[in-house]
Amino acid sequence: MIAVAGTGQAACDFDALVREHQSMVFSLAYHFLHDRAVAEEVAQEVFLSLHRNLGSIESAAHALFWLRQAAVRRAIDETRRRRRRPQVALEQVAEPAMTQPRGDPMLSDVLRRLIAALPEDPRAVMILRYQEDLDPPEIAELLAMPLATVKSHLHRSLGVLREKLARRGVGEP
Amino acid sequence: MDWLEQELKRALERKEPAPGFAGRVSAAARRRPMPRWIAVAASVVVLSGAAAGYRWYEGLRAKRQVMTAIRLAGEKLNRVQTRVMEVRQ
Repeated sequence: MIAVAGTGQAACDFDALVREHQSMVFSLAYHFLHDRAVAEEVAQEVFLSLHRNLGSIESAAHALFWLRQAAVRRAIDETRRRRRRPQVALEQVAEPAMTQPRGDPMLSDVLRRLIAALPEDPRAVMILRYQEDLDPPEIAELLAMPLATVKSHLHRSLGVLREKLARRGVGEP
Repeated sequence: MDWLEQELKRALERKEPAPGFAGRVSAAARRRPMPRWIAVAASVVVLSGAAAGYRWYEGLRAKRQVMTAIRLAGEKLNRVQTRVMEVRQ
């Protein structure tokens, strides 16, 4: 057990956990929601939830797993609650207006928008894969999803992204 | 990892929240919410007090109405008695 809630040590540990994982939690929410202000709100709620559950956290690795899982779940909840952006299939997303070569900062922005427009499950899988660099089995465990489903989401999403970018002349040289 | 996956890793790099985020979170965590049982107990006390107050007010109002009715009946009775006395004389 890394801390007991309600003690001074717990407060210190909590502050350290926030400092250590703030960019991870914020980025998961930001890449999911594509809105900085909402992502900060979500990240804050995730950390406050961690504070309430600090007594059940057994190790640093457990804290990391817990935060990743809570951030994804909370981001999904927020997506459903707000419905700021109508959810559409990736195939229906408008083609990005860009002619820049790959490596251009605009390509990153377009990719982030395409990811943010994915349905919830494939979006979570792609963000955990490429932001957090998790392997499919780790993603499957975190999302409580069959490994085959994770692999399918990855494969299909990559295929559609590749096709959309290729239509605009952005692809493997 | 092919070029698209490299680009995705670049696009989805971790980003920092606004400056002061960690401090705001820590401060919010220190403002601990009231335990639920205290909130429930406070609600029960307030509602019980309000119910008792309402019952007392209703009792007082009923008492006033009874007193007014008695006073009006008394006045009427006095008037009748006066009239009876006048007739007798």
